[in-house]
Amino acid sequence: MNTPSSFTPSDCPVGPDSLTQITRRQTNPTRWHGAGWTDFAGALRAAGVDLLESLAACGAFATDAGGTAYGMPHGMVIAKSAQQISSLLKIAQRFGVPVTVRGGGLTTEGESVAFGGVLLDMTGMSRVQTIDAGALTVRTQTGIFWHSLAEELRREGLDYLSAPLNLTSTVGGSLNVGGIDVNSPRLGCSADQAIALQIVTPTGEIVECSETENAAQFQRAILGYGQFCVITEATLKIRRYTPVRMQYFYYSSLTTAVEDLQRLDRDDASDYSGILTIMDSAVNLLVAFDSDEREAAFNQRWKAQLRGHGELGFALRALPRYLLQPWKWPEALYLLRRKKQLFPEFRRPEYVRDGLMQDRTVVFSRAVWKYWGSRQMVIPDLATSAEKFVAAVTRGNAVCRKYFPHYTLYCVGIKLRDDHKPHYELSCIPPDAEGWAYGCEFEPMMDRVYSRDHLQSFKNEIYDIGLDIGASYYRFGGMMKGYIRRAFGDEMVDRHLAMKQQADPAMILNRNVVF
Amino acid sequence: MRKVDVIIVGASLSAAAAAKRLIDSGLETVILERKALPRHKICSGILSPRGHRFLIENFGPLPREALHEPTACRGVTFHFPSMVSMSMDFFGGTTPHLHRKYSDHWAIKQSRAEVHDETSFAGLEDRGDHVLVHARKHGEPLEYRARWVIGADGPSSLVTRAIYPDYPKQIPWFFVGQKFHEIIDCPLDEQYFHFWFHPGLGHYTWSHARDGRQIVGVGFKRGDNFAAKHANVVNYLSEKHGVKLQEHTDDEGCAENFGPSLINRYVFGKGNVLITGQAAGFLNMIGEGMSCALHSGAISGEAVVEARLRNRPVQEMYRKMIVSEVRRTSDQWNPLKIAFDRPHEADFPAALAALSWRERGLVMRDLWRFVVLYKEFKWGRQIASAALQRPLLGGYSMMKWL
Repeated sequence: MNTPSSFTPSDCPVGPDSLTQITRRQTNPTRWHGAGWTDFAGALRAAGVDLLESLAACGAFATDAGGTAYGMPHGMVIAKSAQQISSLLKIAQRFGVPVTVRGGGLTTEGESVAFGGVLLDMTGMSRVQTIDAGALTVRTQTGIFWHSLAEELRREGLDYLSAPLNLTSTVGGSLNVGGIDVNSPRLGCSADQAIALQIVTPTGEIVECSETENAAQFQRAILGYGQFCVITEATLKIRRYTPVRMQYFYYSSLTTAVEDLQRLDRDDASDYSGILTIMDSAVNLLVAFDSDEREAAFNQRWKAQLRGHGELGFALRALPRYLLQPWKWPEALYLLRRKKQLFPEFRRPEYVRDGLMQDRTVVFSRAVWKYWGSRQMVIPDLATSAEKFVAAVTRGNAVCRKYFPHYTLYCVGIKLRDDHKPHYELSCIPPDAEGWAYGCEFEPMMDRVYSRDHLQSFKNEIYDIGLDIGASYYRFGGMMKGYIRRAFGDEMVDRHLAMKQQADPAMILNRNVVF
Repeated sequence: MRKVDVIIVGASLSAAAAAKRLIDSGLETVILERKALPRHKICSGILSPRGHRFLIENFGPLPREALHEPTACRGVTFHFPSMVSMSMDFFGGTTPHLHRKYSDHWAIKQSRAEVHDETSFAGLEDRGDHVLVHARKHGEPLEYRARWVIGADGPSSLVTRAIYPDYPKQIPWFFVGQKFHEIIDCPLDEQYFHFWFHPGLGHYTWSHARDGRQIVGVGFKRGDNFAAKHANVVNYLSEKHGVKLQEHTDDEGCAENFGPSLINRYVFGKGNVLITGQAAGFLNMIGEGMSCALHSGAISGEAVVEARLRNRPVQEMYRKMIVSEVRRTSDQWNPLKIAFDRPHEADFPAALAALSWRERGLVMRDLWRFVVLYKEFKWGRQIASAALQRPLLGGYSMMKWL
């Protein structure tokens, strides 16, 4: 019997419990030891950077939206300027103190949780700097929530292009990880809307970058999961504001609904599209339009070809099925209860006037937080090429059925841009996707309390599907670290690791996310 | 008097897991351990894959000093009186052979909790908004004021006795003892943990290699004679398996509570006091308690965190969250699960299927005879009830938990 110096995962692959073929590593980090903290804190204050160390200040950031990773920073800094962040990072490099950057804290795998060190709260930098209505661009600090940005833009009759359906995500967070909207099948992800950035590198340099200026840094910053810089300002493309007109189609088959969704995307038949489900029993394909002309064209050309039904048609078809299967009556009652809760939410008079939805983000965000989420957002996901998407959704759906009595799926496409391929490397965009990538979030209804182990086992099983079929993931931290090498291969991960080591010699910036 | 958020009693793996969750969430946590650390712990040290996963994911790779020789275990071999043997590899690969003295200490250190060793738990008073914990260090009395207390002090838990003085009388107790022998000749594969389903040997009979010696262990109802039981097993191994051993050089033993996982009679505490790990009754079917201790310990820590965040009673949180671990552990003892599912971390149905029909018949006969050994505890109805609850309720009834 060999006697290794330590019993590492490579010596000993561990049995499944959902994690198949994953080399084990520590994914729930040990709190940073705190060596040199006092000297670091002194140096930071001497440089004029405010550092909060009280339990109340730090405790507010003990976990993220996922609620399965907890950690306490030694201290926190509220972002005020690029210069302040530059000072922080320079001193942190010198003392080897980890810095974790947090926007809205809507990560679900602990990416924005500090396991000791400094937590940098970017929501302190939340000002819109300039709006250029002629060029249709906005320059903003990146700690701003999307809904605050929308408020500012609406005053000018403008709107952002694409933002996550979540009111409290920040612009900076979305640029780092993607950001997906129901118009992403036409416009790409939120990160695709950035034209130029101001970033602070891990060694404290303040750099302006774009596709033409410091292009390499721009490529690494976008969809970079915070590994190569802190994004402090962004110039984003915007558009004229238009309310949207929604149409809903109901399916009893996930496969059929996904096929119809992909067909609409391929044909550019709608301005917005996505799937929201109540388990796999009521599958809602939603489409929406920015103009009457687009809607009329859809009604004329594509509507009749969709295999979904209206509310009544769906109910009439579901009724005999449930009548003949009495053991499924609890499920039918659940569907009715959800319908009663949810449908009025999508038609609230303050947001819907004359059949037009005034702010899709508000409507969907409210519904998501009120009826899907809880204080925990457990939403493992799979991002695949169009060809693999049906398999990913159906297999993930089976895992949801196994773990939870009630759940929902959210599926949406992302239009890919050939000129953004460098951004997409080592990101949620799967390497084999052409034209569109598709993402599905698997979200259990948290109508009871679950242990973290139960939730993590569920997530692992979803992530395992991704490995099996060759997918990517929207989320990268925590347990995901073990998957990244399997999903992308050692060559790509090592190349990015080398870039990271060059950019961040002390490996202080967001150290527990990817590497 | 020291004021802290949480006192954990016992410096075990479940304590380390609970402490990890509490420290990560910023709660001031003190672990009380009656012995000086690192302390000796009676245990086979054979960890299940799920427990290994937990250790790595939460504490990192194990240091070499935390392992016995052989450093890894490939799986389990079941032996039957009919001389049929079934070797089953753990799912996914080998697991570590833990040296509990050092592995527990390493995990405790990795948790970053403050440890007060040589400090014995002496009692507690739950005052509603806090718990007064009495302890002794070198004979001197100490007091701690904690918001919550977690009892992670093993099967003979003093914390359990402090809140349920009659509990030890409500369950049958076993004694498990092991003796260490220099090896003359041992044909048993040292890569496996060996277990005998033999009613003539004891309720729990095992053997495995450790640091160049062979362990021969036996568990039985408390009150029987360890020396006689052990000698019987040594003779059996010699006659039936050709295991030639010298007289033992060391021996050790402790009390065990096999019943709670089998009949869903767990004890999770009351008020601000939580019980976890083997103190709560968690034990896997091959007697491996470390993996469920780690997971239940973590859940006890999570329950405290959640109770604080949601402003809910900690017992409510703990009992809701522990459901998943109860399912995993009690499934391993559930005859319906064993027959129709794969609740264990080694593939018993596949190993059984690899046998001839005659051998399968012999194995089933021997298993039945072994189960009959437990007849005196009158668990049959309770086992049947728990087995039926699983498919009907999707879990096990909370009504039987203390």
